[in-house]
Amino acid sequence: MNHTYEICLALGVVVPLVSFFILAVWGAAIGKPRASHVALAAIGISALLGTYVLLGWWSADGAMRTKFADYALRYDWAVLGTHTPITIGVKLDSLTVIMYFMVTFISFWIHFFSIGYMEGHSDVVDGESKYHRFFAYLSLFCFSMLGLVVSSSLLFMFFFWELVGLCSYLLIGFYFDKKFASDAGMKAFIVNRVGDFGFVVGLALVILFMGTFDLDGAAKQFAAQSHGESGIFAASINLFGWQLSGTTVATLMGICLFCGAIGKSAQFPLHVWLPDAMAGPTPVSALIHAATMVAAGVYLVARVFRLLTPDAQMFVAVIGCITLTITALIAIVQTDIKKVLAYSTLSQLGYMIFGMGVGAWVAALFHLMTHAFFKAMLFLGSGQVIEGCHHEQDIRKMGGLRKKMPVTCWTFFVGVLAISGFGIAGTHFGLGGFFSKDEILAVAYERTYNWPPAHAAAHDEPDGDAHGDMHAASLPAGPFHLVSEDQAGAVGEGQARGASGQAEGASEHATGSPAKLSVAATVRALPKWMFWLPIIIAYVTPFYMMRCWWLTFWGKPRDQHVYDHAHEMWKMYVPLVVLAVGTVFCSYLVFRPLLADAAKAASDSSMIVAIDGEAHSVADAGGGAMLTLTHAPAERSPHHALIAIVGFAWVIGIGFALLIYRNGFQLADRLRRNFLPIRLAHTALKEKLYFDHVYDNLIVMGIRLIGVMAYAFDKIIVDGLVNLTAVFGRFVGSFAGRQLDMPIRKHDVGLVDALVNGIAGVCYDIGSQIRRPQSGRIRTYVMITAGTAAVVLLMVLFFDQIDGGFDAIRRTLFVADR
Amino acid sequence: MLAVGLNHYLVLSALIFSLGILCMTTKRNAIGILIGVELVLNAANVNLVAFSKYQTGSVDGQIVAVFVILLAAAEAAIAIAIFMNFYNTVRTIDVDRGDELRW
Repeated sequence: MNHTYEICLALGVVVPLVSFFILAVWGAAIGKPRASHVALAAIGISALLGTYVLLGWWSADGAMRTKFADYALRYDWAVLGTHTPITIGVKLDSLTVIMYFMVTFISFWIHFFSIGYMEGHSDVVDGESKYHRFFAYLSLFCFSMLGLVVSSSLLFMFFFWELVGLCSYLLIGFYFDKKFASDAGMKAFIVNRVGDFGFVVGLALVILFMGTFDLDGAAKQFAAQSHGESGIFAASINLFGWQLSGTTVATLMGICLFCGAIGKSAQFPLHVWLPDAMAGPTPVSALIHAATMVAAGVYLVARVFRLLTPDAQMFVAVIGCITLTITALIAIVQTDIKKVLAYSTLSQLGYMIFGMGVGAWVAALFHLMTHAFFKAMLFLGSGQVIEGCHHEQDIRKMGGLRKKMPVTCWTFFVGVLAISGFGIAGTHFGLGGFFSKDEILAVAYERTYNWPPAHAAAHDEPDGDAHGDMHAASLPAGPFHLVSEDQAGAVGEGQARGASGQAEGASEHATGSPAKLSVAATVRALPKWMFWLPIIIAYVTPFYMMRCWWLTFWGKPRDQHVYDHAHEMWKMYVPLVVLAVGTVFCSYLVFRPLLADAAKAASDSSMIVAIDGEAHSVADAGGGAMLTLTHAPAERSPHHALIAIVGFAWVIGIGFALLIYRNGFQLADRLRRNFLPIRLAHTALKEKLYFDHVYDNLIVMGIRLIGVMAYAFDKIIVDGLVNLTAVFGRFVGSFAGRQLDMPIRKHDVGLVDALVNGIAGVCYDIGSQIRRPQSGRIRTYVMITAGTAAVVLLMVLFFDQIDGGFDAIRRTLFVADR
Repeated sequence: MLAVGLNHYLVLSALIFSLGILCMTTKRNAIGILIGVELVLNAANVNLVAFSKYQTGSVDGQIVAVFVILLAAAEAAIAIAIFMNFYNTVRTIDVDRGDELRW
């Protein structure tokens, strides 16, 4: 078995690292334009390798892929204790290949864009050019991100995870002589530490109970333990007298691991760092805070999916649901073009995490891919706008830029449509975001209204009457919908009883775990609000994106100076066009099938429930290892239901945005002035729902308060004790001094002083006597040497006699003693 | 006719050694001291060669003696270089004047 693919991947990881070292050491000497070429060449090589692997993987059939994955290289890097090896290796499966391709491809174009961007932006930080440093950081970031993607071991994922966090810190704070930038960098770093703390605890639990950091090994262990109710499922942890036992520990492990993702993917309640991170250069925002790094959190959840218990999954879903809701609402009122995009990123990440939580593994990753493309494009577009408008980020001062930067305008529009879920419902026509979001929602629908699946709980009818009308009104099934064999026998007319799970792959379990469906029966259904919140936000998303686009590119110019300055450059819009093409074509054709193939890796445990949102056949459904939404009749399917619920959300959202903002801000301002609820909501959202205030007042002030208290404690009690001791000591000293007849006055000599001085004097005298033979006269030295030699000679010659004499004396004494 | 044996050489060596020590302790001229050193070294050489001849019968002693001669030459070169510097500093080679580094 050859190792071409993993060697290619590993090589592609190392190349940016080499570039980083070159730029770090000789960057200043390489000079301004050429330093960027080094970084671009490095990521270009990685991208070529990634593409090569993708094409090879694409053409390989399923058996080949399994073979490749099974024979992937592993190397024991170190041994923990006596028998726990830490392996380092390349995790080779469809998910890795596709993530790798996505990261390298997008990174390459962002590097390309950066060259143009840095031409127009100052690279002078703190008095000297940091141009090479910027590209060195970009290279380092690519290295860390790619390392994270290919790692086969959780521990190495963690290493690269931290490196990614470091790069984020460095790049956000690139203009570190500006206070807000360095503050934002620190905020990102510190908030991420909070999440990473949980991650480390999770890792500790993994090594404690699973005995390995290897992703596959840990998952196998987990499945075995869950089946046998042993190990972590029988464990109890005593934490300060608080007993944790049973599945709680297993759930705790999942939640802890997920904490890392909360930090990195900026989920509630740690989402506050990402909007501030917009202080970094715009290409960085595109690269890190939209396309790749924040996706690392979702990627992590995808990787540890098999270690999540149903409860942990529910936790993930709740967090995702909260995040996607609040951040989308905040995005409505933002006026900084980058902040709008930042909050929309948060919201989309919330969708992904929510998808992971409800079991839509494939769909969430699919959304990650499509989102990476269009969000990178949107951010680069905003970078172009900011660059063109003389570093103006406020959309209140823009407007009418369509004529000045047509390419940016229309590529941006593609991004807006993609994120809005543009597509003709019921057909196969649409942009990436349409399919991926639809799938997540379909699974959520299934989990809410058709749960548990039919086989497990025989004809457990959900009370779907309220929505039954909607289904009845929905359109006939298009080719997009799943038509499969009739499984559910009796289906009540007019009832929302569509999807049912299909038991597959039970025989694939090495542990002989029970069928998926009976597992699914133990999983709770989603509460209804967790289905409806994402639905509502699906209407809000197109609204705020359209608002942003319209206010930037249409209408009358609101600031003549900015408008006059506006221009665009080919170096910056070429990446936009490439990514726009990728957004339109690539995602559904390439990513979706490969992800479905990766799915079987996600779902070989008996604990978790993963649902394939859209499987055309059993073969597609991750080798049958997950539940699929194949059901009959087709009109009852979740996809079908969704057409009526959100199928045309993008039309409504965009239309509403046009209605309000077609003449700029006038109508919105009037609404705000005249309606109290809108004004209140606007203020609250403008203040980001007071999260920063709460953190400032609760945590920062709390810590300050602790600090003040500690200071007071130190000042009053510790210092007081010390001072008291000192006073007491002085008192004792002066008293004792008087008692020992040591006068306190100067120049008098008491007992103690006399003792000390006496010792010193004796030493002095001995010294002055001893130094006498050392006259510096060479002849004296010769005499002493020769004399000593003579004495030694005599002793050697006559020692026997002397010893004999001593012996005689000793014998005499001995005898006398007797 | 008295045969010359080991003891004769040893006595000669002891005499030369004593004379060398005497020379080193009494001469104030640096060159004189150097000559004394040479005498001491050569006394040792005589011993080495004599023991080699009468005790072991090998040539080890002779070889070491040659080394000693070599070292003596090297030592003399260094010593004379020191004396020249000494002379440049204090305009004499009276070793009793060179006692400034005693403490």
